[in-house]
Formats: sequence, C-alpha cells, structure tokens
Amino acid sequence: MSEAATMTAAGEFRAAGTDLSERRRTGVSKGPVVDLVLPGDDGIVWGADGAATIGAFATIATIAADTRIKDAYPGVAATALGLATPQIRHLATLGGNLAQRSRCWYYRNPHIACLKKGGSDCPARAGNHLYGVAFDLGPCVAPHPSSMAAALLAYEATVSTDRRKALSIAELLGNGSDGRADHALQAGETIRSIVLPTPLQGERALYKRAISRSYAEWPLVEICARAVIADGAFRFVRIAAGGIAPVPLRLQAAEAALEGRPPTEATIANAAKLAATGAKPLPMTGYKLDLLDGLVRDLLGALAK
Amino acid sequence: MSTMTINGKSAALPEDRDALLVDVIRDGLDLTGTKLVCGSGVCGACTVLLDGVPVASCLLPAQAAAGKSVTTVEGIGEANLHPVQKAFMAHDALQCGFCTPGFIVEATAFFERWRAANGIAVPSREEIGAALSGHLCRCGAYEGIFNAVAAACAGQFDGRDVQPPRVEAGAKVTGAAKYTVDIRHDGQLEGVILRSNVAHAEITNVDLAPARAIPGVIAAVSLLGDDGVVRFVGAPVAAVAARDRKTALAAIASIRLTSQPMPAVVGLDDARKPDAPVVFDKSSRKKAGNVSEGAGGPAPWKGNLRGPSAAFSQKAKKARSWIGSARDAQDPLLFEATFRTATQQHTCLEPHAAVARFEGDRLTVHVSTQAVFHLAELIAKRFAMAHDKVRVIADHVGGGFGSKASLGTETIAAIELARAAKAPVRVVFDRHEELSVTGYRPAAEMQIALLPSPEGALKALTFNAYADTGAATNSTLAGLARLIYPAEAKELSDFDVISNLPPGAPFRGPGGPPMAFALEQAVDEAALRMKVDPISLRKRWDTNPNRRRLYDWALGLDVWRNRKNGPAQTGRYRRGVGVASGYWLYIWQPGSSIEVAVKGGRLVASTSTQDIGQGSRTVIANTVADAFGIEPHEVEVRIGDSRLPEGPGAGGSRVTASVIPPTLIAVQKLKAAIERSAKRMPAPGSNAPWRELLAASPDLSANGVRPEDSKPTAPGVRSPLRDAGFIGIIFGWMMRRFSNLAIGAGVPSSVQVVEVEVDTWLGHVRVLGVHTGIAVGRIAAPALARSQATGSVIQGIGYALYEARETDAKSGHVLTSNMEDYRIPGIADTPEIDVHFDEAGFDHVMGGSVGIGEVATVPTSPAIANAIRDAIGVRLTETPITPARIVAALNARSAA
Repeated sequence: MSEAATMTAAGEFRAAGTDLSERRRTGVSKGPVVDLVLPGDDGIVWGADGAATIGAFATIATIAADTRIKDAYPGVAATALGLATPQIRHLATLGGNLAQRSRCWYYRNPHIACLKKGGSDCPARAGNHLYGVAFDLGPCVAPHPSSMAAALLAYEATVSTDRRKALSIAELLGNGSDGRADHALQAGETIRSIVLPTPLQGERALYKRAISRSYAEWPLVEICARAVIADGAFRFVRIAAGGIAPVPLRLQAAEAALEGRPPTEATIANAAKLAATGAKPLPMTGYKLDLLDGLVRDLLGALAK
Repeated sequence: MSTMTINGKSAALPEDRDALLVDVIRDGLDLTGTKLVCGSGVCGACTVLLDGVPVASCLLPAQAAAGKSVTTVEGIGEANLHPVQKAFMAHDALQCGFCTPGFIVEATAFFERWRAANGIAVPSREEIGAALSGHLCRCGAYEGIFNAVAAACAGQFDGRDVQPPRVEAGAKVTGAAKYTVDIRHDGQLEGVILRSNVAHAEITNVDLAPARAIPGVIAAVSLLGDDGVVRFVGAPVAAVAARDRKTALAAIASIRLTSQPMPAVVGLDDARKPDAPVVFDKSSRKKAGNVSEGAGGPAPWKGNLRGPSAAFSQKAKKARSWIGSARDAQDPLLFEATFRTATQQHTCLEPHAAVARFEGDRLTVHVSTQAVFHLAELIAKRFAMAHDKVRVIADHVGGGFGSKASLGTETIAAIELARAAKAPVRVVFDRHEELSVTGYRPAAEMQIALLPSPEGALKALTFNAYADTGAATNSTLAGLARLIYPAEAKELSDFDVISNLPPGAPFRGPGGPPMAFALEQAVDEAALRMKVDPISLRKRWDTNPNRRRLYDWALGLDVWRNRKNGPAQTGRYRRGVGVASGYWLYIWQPGSSIEVAVKGGRLVASTSTQDIGQGSRTVIANTVADAFGIEPHEVEVRIGDSRLPEGPGAGGSRVTASVIPPTLIAVQKLKAAIERSAKRMPAPGSNAPWRELLAASPDLSANGVRPEDSKPTAPGVRSPLRDAGFIGIIFGWMMRRFSNLAIGAGVPSSVQVVEVEVDTWLGHVRVLGVHTGIAVGRIAAPALARSQATGSVIQGIGYALYEARETDAKSGHVLTSNMEDYRIPGIADTPEIDVHFDEAGFDHVMGGSVGIGEVATVPTSPAIANAIRDAIGVRLTETPITPARIVAALNARSAA
C-alpha cells in the first residue's frame, strides 16, 4: 500500500513497496524505480502543545500500536489498525499510504487502458463499477484508496513535503476532478511528515469500515468521526468518509446538523441522512449511501454514549 | 554486495531493484516452504519474519532485507518443532497444506507476543482471528487453526511430542512438503503463456520469431487450436520457455499476432438475446469445455443456448399445467421465484502448475493435479506416446476443488516447451490466470415454482436453470432436483448459456449448491406458507432414510428448538435460524486397485491416487493400520505417481469409497501370505500379533481391485438413479461407460442448521453457528473428516456471502482476478461449527465408508439464506448476499 509520493523523470518512487511491488509484478508499472531512503523520517515527534508530527516513513503498524497516538488521536490509531493485513501494516508507511495508487480493478489490470494509465476515458464508468464512487466528482470513478487520508482529513492534519509546508489533505490529494492522478504532488515532490493539531479538550474519535467479511477488505465505505460532547450537546464534530469519492470527503452537512444539538438518536439519524448531501451515485453504487448512513449512525451513536 | 541473515546463515541479495524477497527465498535459496499465492499481501502464504516481525515477502523488495535477519518456516523449529507446529499437527489445522507455512510463521510470532504478555492464558477466538486476519486458507482449516493456536498458547504443546491424525502433517508444518511449484530440475526453464487480450477473434498468424530472437529464450510454441479462433479473454495463444520468468515475459510481449476480430458476447443475459453473436458454430462445438464430473448426454443446441436437458423431468406437462392452474387460481401455497447465484472461482492456493522433463523418449511431468493416473492416460493420448513412457507425479497438491481434474493448458504448454527446448520446463500460472481461466462454478439463473397439494404433500415442481458456462457446456442443476423430495410431477430443464467467457469447470458438487440455493429456499417458503416446521416438512416430503435420521437429529438441536427470533424483530441486529438439506451421489471408480506389501518388515500401500488435502493418504494408512493392529504412521503410503497401481481421481468424492474396499481385499490376501510364510506364529495372547509377524516376514505383496458393492438390504437404501426410473438407469450406464464412474446405492446426505446475525445498518451478515449433520457411512479418518466437514461449510459461507466473479460485459475481461477483489472467507468469518456424523447407511460398501467432500457444502448457502429470511423477514434470492444486497432488500421492504 505504500509507494510514496509520485513519479519523477528518474522513475517511480518507492517507500516500502507494498503497492508498487504488486504493480511491478503485474506489469502495470514499468520503468525505473527510485527508492526513498530517508533515515530519520520514521518517527513520531511530540510538540510542547501535545501535537504529534509523524514521519512519512513511520509504518502503519507503528502508528496503530503507539500508545500516545492511541490516546491523543484514537481515530488515527484505529484507522491504522483497521487497514490492510498485519503483514502489510508492518511494512507500509504513512507517506506511502497517502500516495498509493488506485485500487480500481480496471487500473490494476495491465491489459485494460484507463485514464490513470494515460488512456482517454474511464472504462469503469460505463462498465462494472460495483466498488466505484457514490459522489461522482470527476472523470475517474474509483474511490481514493487511502484510509489514512480520511482519518487525517477528520483531524485536519497537514502534510509537509520536501518542497512545501502545511498542505491540507485537500491540497495533497486534489478535489477529484483530475481523473489521471491519485494525488496533487508535483513531479519529484515527496512527502516528509504529517502534522496533527493539538487534541481538543474532551474529544473522542472512532473509525469503522463497512465490508462484507470481518477483516482485510477494501472498504465499501469508511468513516473516521471525532466529537466533543459537553453540556448536553455536540460542541465539535468532524466526520470524514472514504470509499465514496475520488478523494476522502468531509461530511459537512452532517457535521453542521450535529454541532450545537443534543446527542439524541433523532439528531444523529437526521445527520446520517444529510451525510449523502451532494452525492451522485452511479448505477451500481447507490448502496454506498445506505452504508454511509449506517456508519454515521453507528459511530456518532457510539460517541454519544 | 549486500547480504541478509536467513535462518541463521548469511545469504547474498541481488542488486536488481525489482527482485522481491519471496523469489530470492524460493528460487535463489530453494527454501520452498515460503509460498507465493496472491502477490498482493492479502493471503499471507509468503509471510516470513523480518527481524522477528511477520511481513509479506511477496511485496518486499529483496534489498529491504539487507543487514536484517529473515526467518522462514524452515527456520522455525529447525532443531525441535515449535509448539505451534505441533499444535497444528495435533489439531489437524491444515488440509492441502499450501497456506500452512504462512500460518505457522504468523502464529509463532503471535505465540511469542502472547506468551511474553500473557503467559499461558488462552487467547480468545477474536484475538486469534485478528492476529491471523492476513491469512487465507481455501480448504477452510480455520476451525483446527483456532484450536491449535489456543492450545499452543495455553502451553499444551510445550515439550510434548505429537502423533498427528494426518500422516503427512509433519512435512506440511515444516515447509518440507514439495508441491509442483517447488520442483526444480537442473537446467530447468521457465515457461509463460501468451493469452488472448480480446474475447473473440480469429488469429491468422502467430509470429514467434521476435520471441525466439531474445537472448535467453530457448523455445517458443503456438498453442492455438486448429481453427485459430480464440473465444475468451485469456485463451492460450503461444508459450515461451526462457532461462527466467522475466525473459519469458519479455518474449511473449514481443510475439506478433495477425488477427481478425469477431463479434463477442459476454454473460448470461446478453448471450440469450436473439441477435447475439454465436460462440461455437456447428463445426466447433466439440471445442467447448465440460462443467460436470461426467460426460454429458445429447441436447438441443441453438445459437448460444444448449438445452433443454430435461431427461430427469417426470410428467413435465402435468407439472406445468398444475402450476399454471394454481397461478390462475392465485393459490396461496404456490411459490414462484427466480434465484440467481454468482460465479464461484475455485481459488486453489497452489496455482495450476506443471514441470515437464524428457529423458530420451520418456516423459516425467510433475503436475498439480487431482488425477495422476487419468492425466497420464490423457497425456499419452494427446502426445501419441506409449502409456509406459509417461509418468505423472503429484506428491502434494495445493487444492483442486474440481479445477485440476483434466489435461490443462499448464501441462500441455510445459510438455510442448520441454520437447522443443530439450530441457525441463516449469509452467506456473500467476494469480490473474488462476482467477480467470482455470474454470469456475457457473453462475445460474433459476426459475422455480413449487406447489404443495391442499393435503400438504409435494404436488408439483418446475425448475428451469440457465447456467453461465462461458466456453463450456453440460451443466446439470435442475436435473439434480429429481433425486430429492419426490413429487407427483416435475419439470426440470437445464440450459447452458454459452458466451465469450472462459470455460467453467466442475467445482465441488457441480450444480449441487446452486440447485439447493433455489430448491431449499422454495421448500422453506412452502413451510412458512403452510405454517409447518421447516424440518418437519422436509421429513414429510423427503423419503431418503439417511436424511430422515438427520432430520431427527436437527429437530433435537437446542438452537432449533429454542428459536424464537423471527421477522418481528426491529432492532439494528437481528438473529435468525435456518435449515437446509443436501445430497450428493455416491460415486466410486471401477478398476481402482492398490498394492499392499511388506518391505523390510514395514507395510507399504501403493496406489496412483493423490491427496489434494482431502486426506486420502491417511484414509489408506488408517485402513491398513487398523487391519494389522498397528499405528497409521507405521504404514508407508505411496501415492501421487501414475506408475503405481491404477487409482482413482480425486473428484466426485470418490477416493474413499474407491480405495478402502481394494485395500481391505489386499490386506486380507497379504495377511494370508504372511501367515503362510511365517516360521513361527505369535504367542497366544500377544498384544500385537501382526507386529511380530510383520517384523519377521519376508518381502511380500498383494493386490486388491475395487469389487462391486454387495446388495443393500437396509430399507430404502437403493441407487438414487433407480428412483429416477429408466432415464436414471441410462444415466448410470453412461457414467460408467464414458466416465468410468459407478454410482452406487445409498445417498450421501447433509442437513445443516445455521444461525445468523444481520446488521441492518451496515448490511453485514455474521454466521454465528453452524450445525452440520452428515451421513456418509463409517468415518475412516475422524479428525480429517471433521476438517472436510468444517471446510465445506466455510466454502459454503463464501458462496453464500462473499464470492463473486465480476467481469467487464463489453470486453470480456475478468475483473476479480486477484484475491482482494475475489473474496474468500477468512478465519474471523468462521463460526462455531458443530459436526454430527451419522455413520449408518452404507453397510453394503466394503468398509462402510463413502466420500464427504461434496455433500458437505451443498446445503450451506440455502441454510444461510433461510436464516436471513428468519432474521429480517426478507428472502434474499441472489448470491453473494453482500451488504449491498441486504440494504437493498431492507429498503425494498420499508418502501413497500
């Protein structure tokens, strides 16, 4: 899952290779490989304000197991624990997870042309897009594969590269209108670290993905939700969803319907309905909106308890 | 040059940036216990420890191991078996064994973590499930794995020796077992196949010259059929043998094809349209594949529709007319519905593979096959060789499930290339090939109408089945509904819908699971409408004595007696209980023979059958050991070699019933010979008289050939084909004449009761518990039969809930050709499974045992669907029952 960053003239970047190796084996990726060997970028550094900066080469397993991360950013830790398989999480890096390529089954098939491989259109749009987007925001209908990106979006984290500082997740990944790329990094630019904000007083967070089996499956829909509940009302809510759009999305209509209101079943059910605001499902992906509704009810209900 | 330490020794790492650790370990260092399966980090078969941490070696660049310590399965328990390895052996936590090394590596890492933190406390199922969530086992050995890991962590195997119930378990838990993909001869070349990238075309020229010009390429051959037509994406076109895979891949990419595109049609719906392009014209129909275990009968064939095959109908017109009248009269008891099942891929973890080697005019082929003896015959015929010049070997086979029963492209290509290259050639399919062109259980559309009489009997059934067979024919689904639930009239029509998709193949009880998915839900619906207990209704309608005993067992289960959930539930999580029945034919292979010998005081049993994980080595060892009063591990079983006496293929659940009777005959003869040659009889009252006799015996041998069964005397035990009248007798004769399969008396049966929980918000179905009652006669190897029974349920759960091949309807590409998009059950999806063996019913078979592999998976998917109906009040008519389908069904109900 972890090919870091992007292509350069010299070749395609590789961190741990858990995404790239698969594409090299199948022939989807050809040409030279540039290994990103940047010692020192694999740790977690804590500021005096209690905020963490995570190096791009920290492994997903490290993030999932770090007790201080679990405490300060439970949504980040839970997302890390919920993705891929243990033997991938031990290798895959956070930077690579953010910059991995699409998991679309057309893109991954070396014999089929598609936008992301320099083709002229998206074969999934008129074809089989069972796992495609429900928010149709661009020419490519594959959802963004990075679960960590959704979690970091919920935390309003920023990303530093070797060239730029404090990129938002939206700036890192774009708005989904460019079907050719999976991120908006410049040629040769590499992710160096991810900066999380200071945790809010009393905030809690959860992560969950809707899948058919118990584990180890790409999410049909996933959300990471944070909330501060005080004095009988939601004071602060951030919900980010993955699996539904070309980029992870903040569910702002649902957040607005919760903030300032008491954490009742009715409030949450109403917010869950609003989660689909702006959705444009494809013929085969309407079910994702039902699952999105269910996930918002599930996680916000659990946070309200 | 950088190095790693592997299992304590230093090894050089290649400079090639694309070299992956798994290939260095397997091909460079010949540590073949580490397996390459999915290539995407999801199945865990390639797991090794990197500085003590389990990682996916299939994704790890070899250079990333520089300066680090790597431990493979061979390095675990090198001196003494690790407690986890012993626990896997003792709990039979494996079948074919191909996933086992990966599980062992991960489980030992978990064991060490657990012990460090928790001592000898017992981890929960949930903890084990999470720790092993990155590993997949297609045989479904998860029940044993749960038990093994828990017992090992609890200290039950510290310093204890074990005698495993499966005789070859030791080789499988240490990585020593050699599969076809592990074979390496000196000078061996790597063969790769060029496949069609279009669904239908005539290829007029294949220019192999550019491939042959590439340095390192030793041979290139065309694989095109005589008409030059490719009929599906992935159809073989040519093959290349080169010094390594990379060179071979470059070579096939250089081959130039001249072709004429032909119009293509993909899938069940489009292929039935009147203007659909035709896949097989009259002259090419013989090129179609076969999706059943036996040869097919004649059937009408028009365009892409072959059928109806309706020989098993009974008063078809009456059935249609009664159901028509009931429909007109709006009879509330009439149930009519259309059910759809998805295409299921076998997903063998060991891909189809062959290694061919010529020595003079003699050919030896290692093949991952379910039929060493039959395959040798097929090879001799195809390559016009004398039978005694062809030898097929399969020591261990990493799963087959029906897909490895014939002469496949991997074997043809390996032989052609080895002949052309004058060197040994290995052909191993990659995962994309394995999950697209090696066959599958065809999807089906089944229109069913079931009419009870006012008196509560089963009056009429109509069942039309359309199977999505791709470039193949001979599906039987509806016809199978003849041999269960006798009715006054049945119309049963099977159709093959042929299209430009890869050919289907037999898959574990071909036609059985989809037929049951439709029929058992229809019976369930009838019970609901008649307000009768669903098990009692089956007992009323079903005359088979084996199943009637199982119904009594099922009626007594607490989960059934105490069920009260029903569709009145309104909460988020809803529970339900469902039941279903299933059967399979009892099949044995005439001519099956075995030699049992004393060699140097040791018993040796030899037959050219093979063990693909079902446990036939152990069945033979147990049978011989039991007769001589010794331990199974004292018997050497030689199988997996076509030069041994003719043995059965591992398909149609036939091995057990084919090998036990000749083994008993051979044993009897051998015993007589030993006694005749004995200089001294053992002392009266000896504990182990045969052990003494064997130790003193000269080398002797005896042969047994599978006899006909004796006449069954128990009431109701007869050939199911007799119940189907004249056509049944014809069918039986044809199976014997053209497929060398005998269908015996008595019906292997299974009744399953399943409890599920449905999450109505996220559409997730969790199978909480399964009770599987199985009647296959005497159980010859109890632990292994249990593994087969639980594994069959787990495959059935996959069929019901997760598995579907998806295609691109325009191009004909298979899209789910990887193990992330093609979803087989994982360990955490495994419910508690209670296995009940009813051992009666097969006394007319010498030894009393018949096969279990197929029958045990037939009822699972309808039992789950019936349980879901019980939980949420909606009947799911389409597999897999995914979250998308659950939320859609609930929406439809709330909208209605």
